[in-house]
Amino acid sequence: MISYEIVFTVALVVSTFLAVHLEESVHAVASFGFMIILLSGLYFSLGAPFAAVFQLAIGVGTLAVFFLAGEMLASKKEPTQRLRGKLLGVLAAVILSLPSIALSVTPNVQINSKGVPFSEALWGLRGLDVAAQGFVILVISMGVAIILKRRRS
Amino acid sequence: MDYVILSMTLLAVGIYGLVTKRNLLKVLISIEIIAAAASMNFVAFASMVGGSLGQAFLILALSVDTTLTAIIIALVVVAYRDLGTIDIWALSRLREVRAARRRGKRR
Repeated sequence: MISYEIVFTVALVVSTFLAVHLEESVHAVASFGFMIILLSGLYFSLGAPFAAVFQLAIGVGTLAVFFLAGEMLASKKEPTQRLRGKLLGVLAAVILSLPSIALSVTPNVQINSKGVPFSEALWGLRGLDVAAQGFVILVISMGVAIILKRRRS
Repeated sequence: MDYVILSMTLLAVGIYGLVTKRNLLKVLISIEIIAAAASMNFVAFASMVGGSLGQAFLILALSVDTTLTAIIIALVVVAYRDLGTIDIWALSRLREVRAARRRGKRR
């Protein structure tokens, strides 16, 4: 029986490869969107629900920006790709995904530690980092706004 | 199933896109893929060890990744406004042409 993790892995590698391989920008961005959703599902299956939700939320925002940029910046004469090239890309991606299913390099280590809960890890251990990062993001967003405004004027 | 090999595969795909593609948007997608491949390891190793510190690190890494994307998108838009193209080769050629024109004006 094929486990859903294997299906997720193959689909993840295929969508990732197509995001790079497809010539049309909008199709590539759509494939990238699938990749984000599958990655989020994989995180969920690994027992990291907060990471999965965060990845999905961030990914949706990034996708919106990519779609807008793809529509705005794509040239009118974008090269059209043949179906054969797309299918070859899918085949290459399926072959690329095989090693991660068949091989294993990670040692089978059994560590019996319960670890810290998520809220303690985020706010107790890395709380200062989170606060500093909020400040960095604020400064960067101001910088981006300044770059765009200056160029427009 | 080995998530480390999966992460390496995604990294390889991202590097392939970074090296072969000329469209700035594709290059940006490749950078995102590389970042996703790197941050996947946090969750993979955290699930082996147990605990939630890996998730906290992933959230920090994703925030950095998003700010990086915002900066690059701003640069792409500025480049498109200034030069009218997002082809990397064309951009480098146009930069050379502009530099040559400036040199000509000075003389």
